[in-house]
Amino acid sequence: MTFTKITEYEGITEYKLEANGLKVLLAPRRAAPVAALMVVYRVGSRNEAVGHTGATHLLEHMLFKGTPTYNKQNGTQIAAVLQKQGAVYNADTWFDRTRYYEMLPSDQLELAIHLEADRMRNSFIADSDRQSEMTVVRNEMERGENEPSRILDERVWAMAFREHPYHHPTIGWRSDVEGMPTTQLKEFYDVYYHPNNATAIVVGDFDEPAALDLIAKHFGSIPASPHPIPPMYTTEPKQEGEIRFKLRRAGQLGLIELGWHIPEATHADTAVLSVLDHILSAGVTSRLYQALVETQLAVDESAQAFQFIDPGLFTIDVTLRPESTHEAVEKVVLDEIEKLKLEDVTDKELQKAKNIILTQMIFLRDSPFGVVSALGESEAVADWKLYANLPKMVEAVTAADIRRVANTYFTEDNRTVGWFIPKEETE
Amino acid sequence: MPNQSFASRIQRYKLANGLTLLVLENHANPTVSLSGFLSAGEFFSPADKDSLASVTAGMLNKGTARRSKLEIAEELESSGARLGFSSNNFTVSINGQSLSRDLPMILSTLAEELREPVFPELELEKLKQRFIAAIKEDLDDTRSRAYERLTQVVFPAGNPFYQPGAERTIGYLETITAADARGFYEKYYGAGSMILALVGDVEPEAVRALVEQHLGDWTGAPAPEINLEETSLQTEAKRETVPMKDKANCDVMIGHASRLRRSNPDYLAAVIANNALGQSTLSSRLGLKIRDEMGLTYGISSGFRSGIGDGPFTIGVTVAAENIDLAINTTLDIVNDYLADGIREEELQDEKASVTGSFKVGLATNAGMSGQIANAELFKLGENYLDEFPGLINALTKEQIDEAMRKYIHPEVATTVIAGTI
Repeated sequence: MTFTKITEYEGITEYKLEANGLKVLLAPRRAAPVAALMVVYRVGSRNEAVGHTGATHLLEHMLFKGTPTYNKQNGTQIAAVLQKQGAVYNADTWFDRTRYYEMLPSDQLELAIHLEADRMRNSFIADSDRQSEMTVVRNEMERGENEPSRILDERVWAMAFREHPYHHPTIGWRSDVEGMPTTQLKEFYDVYYHPNNATAIVVGDFDEPAALDLIAKHFGSIPASPHPIPPMYTTEPKQEGEIRFKLRRAGQLGLIELGWHIPEATHADTAVLSVLDHILSAGVTSRLYQALVETQLAVDESAQAFQFIDPGLFTIDVTLRPESTHEAVEKVVLDEIEKLKLEDVTDKELQKAKNIILTQMIFLRDSPFGVVSALGESEAVADWKLYANLPKMVEAVTAADIRRVANTYFTEDNRTVGWFIPKEETE
Repeated sequence: MPNQSFASRIQRYKLANGLTLLVLENHANPTVSLSGFLSAGEFFSPADKDSLASVTAGMLNKGTARRSKLEIAEELESSGARLGFSSNNFTVSINGQSLSRDLPMILSTLAEELREPVFPELELEKLKQRFIAAIKEDLDDTRSRAYERLTQVVFPAGNPFYQPGAERTIGYLETITAADARGFYEKYYGAGSMILALVGDVEPEAVRALVEQHLGDWTGAPAPEINLEETSLQTEAKRETVPMKDKANCDVMIGHASRLRRSNPDYLAAVIANNALGQSTLSSRLGLKIRDEMGLTYGISSGFRSGIGDGPFTIGVTVAAENIDLAINTTLDIVNDYLADGIREEELQDEKASVTGSFKVGLATNAGMSGQIANAELFKLGENYLDEFPGLINALTKEQIDEAMRKYIHPEVATTVIAGTI
C-alpha cells in the first residue's frame, strides 16, 4: 500500500505516504477547472536563534533559485514555468511554518506536484545566488521599515516575548540577514525540508486516485529525514507586569498597539478568543469601531487573536486621528476591555460575531486557494481538523466564556503597550 | 456544463429603465457574488470639488430615508454579508457577497442605498475627516508620493489621472457640503448607466424578479456622456525627487502618458507587450535582471493604467538609496533593448499561455466571474467576449506586439520620480 488512508472528515481526506511519512490532504471540488496545491513545512522563524534570524525566510527565497531540473540556464526557471501556465503562485514564511503554493488550471496539477517534490530536496542553494537574494530580502525588509505600523508591531512582539523566538520578526534582524553564510541556509534546508516534516494539500478539480498517483510518483522516492526533526523547546515565562514603550520617528498619524499573551492554537479558548476579536472589531457595529472611529478619535482599529503553535498574542491596533491624544485613545480601549470583564456581551452581538466567522468560512470555499490556505494554516499550528472543527467550536461559545476569557488574559500585568509618536518636523 | 459557452450560461436582462443585469448560476457553494458599475466616478466631479464623487459614493451607506447607517450595517453584518461602493476615475463600483439565502436582503439594501440616500450632515463630516486622515497616511507612503508626483508632471491639471496633492485635495474636501453630495447624486446616479452582475447559487429568473421589484421603477439621472480630451505624450525626459524623512526604502516611478484606452483596438497587444517586459517581478525581463540577477529590489513591475480613460504607463521599483541610479539606468537599458529587438517568439508564446491560463484561474471563483462579466459589459466588449478571449490572445502576432510596444512605451520622454530619504 503506497498510501494509508488516515481519516475522512468534512469532505477532506487525510493520507500518509508510507514511503516517507508525507502527510497528504485531498479535497476535490469540481466547481471550475482549477486546482490548488500547497506544501507546508513545519519550520518558521520559531526555529531560529540569534545569528541566523531570518534564515527560514531567506531559504524560502532560495527555493525559487532552481534545481538541476528547473533552472534559468535551461529555460525552466521556476517562476517562469508557473507564470506560463497562468498560475497564482508564491511562497511565504511565518513564525511556525513555510508554505509554497500554486493555483493553476487543473490539467497542470502534475507540474505543480513535480516542482514542489523536486525543490523539497534538490534546490541548489548556491552561494552566488545567496548573495544576490540577500539584497532582495534586504530591500523587502527596508520596504517594511518604511511603514510605522510594521515597526510598531515588530517592537510589541519583541518586547512581549523575551525568551521565546516569537521575539524576533520572521524577516530576521538586519545584520543576521546580511551576515548569514550560505552553509547556514543549507543546514536549515537539510534539517527541516523532508517529507516527514511537511503536509501536501490539494484542493479543486481532480480525481483522488489520480492525484494520489501523481503524489506517489513525484514525492514517493524522497526518503524520510535521516534524523528526527529537532523540537523547539524554548518557552516564554509568564509576564510579570505591564511593558510600555514609545517609538518616535517621522510620520503623519499616531498609532497604538496593545498585546496580551494568549494560549496556543490547540487550547480550548481559541474559538472564544476568535469570537472576542470579532465582537471588538468586525464591522461598523463592533465595539471598538463604535468607541473609536464613530466618535472620531481614531481613523481605524483592529483586533486579532493570533493562533500559533506556542502561546501568542491578542493584539489591538489603533490609528489615531491627528487631533487625538494617545492617552485618551488608550483609555477608551482599556475601558472597552474592562466592560468585557464586567458585563456579558449581548446575545445579538455574540450571534453576529459567530455569523461573521461562519459565513467567512463559507465564502472561503468559493476558491480552491481559500480552502488550501485555511487547511495549511491549521496544519502549521496544530492539525487541519482545527479548521474543520472551528464552526462547531465557534457555535459553542457562550457569553460567560467571553467574560471568563477576558478576565483571564486581559490583565494589566500581561499587557504590552506601544505608542508610535510622529516626530515633529523641526528642521 | 463547463464545456458550455459563457454566453449561453449567462442570462442577460435589460430592464425598461436601462439597467443591465447579468446572472450566472454556479451552485458549487451556497454563496452569491455581486459586481456592478454606475457612471458616477471622479471624472464627473467639478474642478473645484475634486473628491466629490468619492464622498457621494461613500455616503450611500450612511443612512437612507428608511434606516440609519447603523441599522443597515447591523442587518448586513448580522448575516455576514458585505456590500460596498467605491469611486474610481470614471465609475462607482458596487461589490457584494452574501450567502445565497440572503440575496433578497442584499438586493433590497442595494436598492435602498442607491435610491434613498439622505446624506446626514454628521455622517458627512465623519466621512470627510476619515478621507483627510487617509490622505495624511498616504503622505507617509513612498509609493503613493512617487506616483502622485508623476501624474502631476505628465498630465495637465483636470485630467482624470492628475492627482492634485494632499494639501489641495484636503482643501477641496473641506468645502464639500451635504447639498453638494446630494446634487452630484441627483445629477449622475441612475439606472440608465447601471450594470449589475451576479454569480452564484441563484436562479436567474428569481434574481430578475427581485431586481425588477427593487430597482425596476428607479429612473434617476440619465447615463452621462463621457467626452475625453486627447492626452499628449511628453516631449522630454524629466527627473524629480520627493524628499521624505526616515525612509529606509525609496520608491522610483518611471512613466509617461500612454494614450492607451481599453477601447483601443490594439489594447490586448499592448498588454502582452507589457507583460513580457514587466508584469511579473519574478519572471518578466525587468524582474529577471534587476531582482533575480542583480538583487537590487524586492519588487519591480510595469503596466498601463488604462480603462475608460488613458492613464499613464508606469514602471515602479523599490530600492535602497545607494542603488537608485543603477536601478534606473539598468531599467531604461532593458526597456530600450526590448523596444529595439521586439518580443522574442518564445516570450510571445509564454505570455499568451500565461494570459489565457490566468484568465481561467481568475474565473475559478464567484467574485472573479462576476467581476469579469461586469467588466466586459462596462467596456462593451460584446456578449461573447469571455468565450472569445483566449482566441483573441492566441491570434496576436509578433508584429502586432512589436508595433504596440513602440506605439505605447516611450522611455525617451519618460519622467522619473524618486520618493524617499535620499
